Amino acid sequence: MLRLENVHTHYGLSHVLQGVSLTVEEGEVVGLFGRNGVGKTTVMKTIAGWVRPTSGSIELGGESIAGMASDDICRRGIGFVPEDRRIFPGLSVEENLKLGLLQCPRRPARESREKLERIYQRFPRLKERRNQMGTTLSGGEQQMLAMARVLVGAPKLLLIDEPTEGLAPMIVDEIFSIIGGLREEGVPILLVEQNVHRAVEVSTRFYALERGLIILEGKASSAADRKALMESIAV
Amino acid sequence: MLDWLQFILAPQVINGLSIGVAVVLMALGLTIIFGLLDVINMAHGEFYALGAYLGYALIASGVSFWFALVFVPLLMVPIGYATERLLIRRVFHSKERHILTLLLTFGLAILLEDGLKLAFGANPLKPEQPISGASEIIGLYFPNYRLFLMAVGVLIIVAVWLTVYRTSLGAMVRAAAFDRHMAASLGVRVSHVYAGTFAFGVALAGISGVLLAPIYSVFPTMGKDFVLIAFSVVIIGGMGSIKGAVLAGLILTQIQAVSSLYISPVWTDPLLFGIMVLVLMVRPQGLFGRLGHG
Repeated sequence: MLRLENVHTHYGLSHVLQGVSLTVEEGEVVGLFGRNGVGKTTVMKTIAGWVRPTSGSIELGGESIAGMASDDICRRGIGFVPEDRRIFPGLSVEENLKLGLLQCPRRPARESREKLERIYQRFPRLKERRNQMGTTLSGGEQQMLAMARVLVGAPKLLLIDEPTEGLAPMIVDEIFSIIGGLREEGVPILLVEQNVHRAVEVSTRFYALERGLIILEGKASSAADRKALMESIAV
Repeated sequence: MLDWLQFILAPQVINGLSIGVAVVLMALGLTIIFGLLDVINMAHGEFYALGAYLGYALIASGVSFWFALVFVPLLMVPIGYATERLLIRRVFHSKERHILTLLLTFGLAILLEDGLKLAFGANPLKPEQPISGASEIIGLYFPNYRLFLMAVGVLIIVAVWLTVYRTSLGAMVRAAAFDRHMAASLGVRVSHVYAGTFAFGVALAGISGVLLAPIYSVFPTMGKDFVLIAFSVVIIGGMGSIKGAVLAGLILTQIQAVSSLYISPVWTDPLLFGIMVLVLMVRPQGLFGRLGHG
């Protein structure tokens, strides 16, 4: 479904991704792990079109999306939940969610309304706070809003970057159960997460990244692969 | 005392308001363009002049003022759109964006001004007053056209406000102003929003030109002084703040109008810039926050 082949990305002179290859297939939750600063977020930003790869290919469902504008990538069906949530200040919860509906333009108003209602059923707390400014929500609620505004457009594949960073343990449980629910529904996800133990539990497969290169690939169901992963990213 | 209020202060306040509304229209265009694109449009005054000339030429060709008032901003939209897509876009992603867009729009201002001189000559042209007569308010007579100008200006300001803060289009613009990457990843066509916003700001300058042409005459450098006031309004109100542009525009033109009762009108512009300097010293970010930033 998503295939990265020998992707290189530079920030000015610094060579951040040095030939990353990875795949996410239908129904998979793929973890991408590694220490701070090895390029995990850059992988996400490169797929989402925030930064352009300098070389290599990125394909979604067989179509090349490398170098496309972010809004075109979004319309191809990639939903990006970035690090730090990036909730728009001055926009209410509902306005934030309605932006997510733009991924599927020219829908009848009734259909959009239904989509919004379905999202509110999934995240009842957002419904209670629909008219509140998005930035006045708690960290956990902001994370839910960041996920909800992407999910409202029913993306074909999700990129989720550090969803539990800075959240209280109880909220972390909630976020992982949402990701688990998405896995049940068969939404393919590429997940970057510091909390490796928890993230591996919801993953089907994983990669370890080290200095801009994939150094390991494994199955979450294999105890040996998990052990190798923990060793490879241990400080 | 009552006489002073009625015959001296009131006319100043109302005349100040009509100029204030026009200044706010100019400042709105400037501040929206800055708030979203981070571009200081040095050609804004010349777009204002272009609007006035287009209106003048249309009326001279036989159409009515009312047609020109609607048609000129519609003409300015593609002009502004093309300016953003063909010129500003080219330097937008450069690291030197601020200085490059400043120089680019400054060059465009010179081109526009000279183009207008070539096309229409350097002498002031005086369009006819589309509405004549005066109306009595609180025992005083005010030119009907100024009253009309205020009404139209207020309508436009309210419409802009509602569009930006109450519609999904406005939410898109505010989102793109705050975080263009995130907005794009939610499907907002950021490049169209940028060009459209620039076009909209330019159209606001154009309609101000048509509206003010019957009061001041039409001449190639007509935008220069006017845009300076609009710039100080934007700086005092907060670069990129809509609320700031409206409030600062109305308050500053009132200060100018009322102070001219006590000081020579020559000193009202320095007074304005003095206030601007003070605001910059005390609150360099201006009175209000930037578009999209809460």
